[in-house]
Amino acid sequence: MSSARTAERLGRILAMVPWVIAHPGATVDEVCRRFHYDRSELVGDLNLVFVCGLPGYGPGDLMDAYLDDDEVVIAMADYFARPVALSAPEALMLLAGGMAVLSAGTADPALQSAVDKLTRSVLPDPGVIDVDLGPEPGPLAMLRSAAAEGSVVAIDYVAISTGAATTREIEPWAVFAAMGNWYVSAHCRLAGGERLFRIDRIRQAVLTGEHFTPHPAPAEPGVRYTPGAEDAVVRIRLAPEASWVADYYPVTLVSSGAAGNEIEFSASDPAVVARLLLRLGRSAELLDGGDAAAVRVQLTGLRESILARYG
Amino acid sequence: MHRVIERIINLLAFLLTVGRPVTADEIRHTVAGYDEKSDEAFRRTFERDKDLIRSLGVPLRLDFTDAYEVEKGYAIRPEEYALPDPGLTDEERAALWLATRMARLGGDGAASAIFKLGGAAATSTGDPLSADLGSDATALGALFEAVVERRRVRFRYRGTKRRAAPYGLVHRRGHWYLVAGVGEENRTFRVDRIEALEVAAEPGAFERPPGFRAAEGFPEAPWEAGTDEVDAVVRFDAATAWWARRQLGTETKITDHPDGAITARIKVASPEAFIGWLIGFEDGAVLERPAELRRRFVAHLREGS
Repeated sequence: MSSARTAERLGRILAMVPWVIAHPGATVDEVCRRFHYDRSELVGDLNLVFVCGLPGYGPGDLMDAYLDDDEVVIAMADYFARPVALSAPEALMLLAGGMAVLSAGTADPALQSAVDKLTRSVLPDPGVIDVDLGPEPGPLAMLRSAAAEGSVVAIDYVAISTGAATTREIEPWAVFAAMGNWYVSAHCRLAGGERLFRIDRIRQAVLTGEHFTPHPAPAEPGVRYTPGAEDAVVRIRLAPEASWVADYYPVTLVSSGAAGNEIEFSASDPAVVARLLLRLGRSAELLDGGDAAAVRVQLTGLRESILARYG
Repeated sequence: MHRVIERIINLLAFLLTVGRPVTADEIRHTVAGYDEKSDEAFRRTFERDKDLIRSLGVPLRLDFTDAYEVEKGYAIRPEEYALPDPGLTDEERAALWLATRMARLGGDGAASAIFKLGGAAATSTGDPLSADLGSDATALGALFEAVVERRRVRFRYRGTKRRAAPYGLVHRRGHWYLVAGVGEENRTFRVDRIEALEVAAEPGAFERPPGFRAAEGFPEAPWEAGTDEVDAVVRFDAATAWWARRQLGTETKITDHPDGAITARIKVASPEAFIGWLIGFEDGAVLERPAELRRRFVAHLREGS
């Protein structure tokens, strides 16, 4: 059994027990709802608690934990009367999540007061942590409500890899912030499938007045890149100051050493790799092999076109 | 898994009630679940159990067992173990749970955090908005702890060794930044570029500047994070002007041209970040002034692979 699963289960027990102690008469349903148990999982955990206790481990030393009809009963466990303090990552997850959603313009007063209370409880001074998802690109709010309501939107979109502008109708599913950009995932009627659009690249967005039936179970949004057979694949050597690239992009780490990392980078378009290489300048070196030749052609073209303006 | 969980619950119950530091040897012979193991097996098991306990947020200490300071033993102080109750209502807990579903940091650790606070129903949000706040909450957690407990840190940043007083953490544009005191100055470091982080043991080792707020003075744009002060004048063509305008801060001075192009006067504190950003406009923009930055831009383009 993995230690992550063990930690998860143990953590839940150490949180559930104090809550039940503090709420005598708690029902099975209530405990299951709060702690995301199903009944048999809860019974399993209570049976486990039931055989634990203090040295001696006789009847007077072990905890009481059982179901009485529909009631959860835990006794002889006063040393577990309080839940474990939040770990640093946990406290940060809660604060950061709350602050991020507030910064995106969710006017939920319960969230605001939750973040305020938590801030007072875990931070020595307010203001030492700050999370802001902004700036919000133009049509974000409009796409967010269109996705919630199932409204079709016509967008003027400028593609990142080619710079080409197109007008298309989309059925927006979700808007999300990742790696410093806002995206909208949508069914694109022009492409006839699911597409991801960077919201700052949407020059204009208008409601068409038409509605669509929201996707029953859209994929969890995220910037996922799945390499395809047609992709350009190259190896790049990164100097230490460019090692962030290995964390930032979904790349394969080939080797890692004092002189830097060697990564395998794949992208649907060689132009994407070329642009990255141009940005990294001397801190990245394109290695021969794979699609290096195609990328080099793009790189040279891009470099020359920019330099042409600096004649 | 049963045996591990039972053993650890027994260990926690013992340490929470015994009221003094106890040696590993005493634990081995007192707590159910350790007794049947060989020396080596006990040592390995106990190491794993300690890691697991600490990963849950339990403050397991190693203190001297008596005034003679000969032997060290393990202790959990109940007042350190217990969560200080922030007093959340059910409604507030539910809102916080939904927020951590929408804006995610790290894996699924948020559930364990909400459970500690008293749990919340696993409803879905209905809001199509979400955000990725980074995949690794562990490295960030160490910095967060250093910020909260005012412990000094040492790390490597772009090849340079740094010593800093970690004042605060800020998330902007998809990245976490550490705001820290280095000597007399406040500096900003991107967390994912921090290497070989070491956190000093001593808490309360520095004072934050009075009224410190991490967000204050935090740059709006990446090229504003730095120590240089240059005004860059860039002409964006009609085709890229709308995109540039969207990304430039409200304080940037912009002049419109009849053909739809714009000229922007941009305050640059980090030429490196600025050059990277400008390359994204490809041949749709020209850096007009100053000559020095222009030369650097051209050199950067020529020097790459």
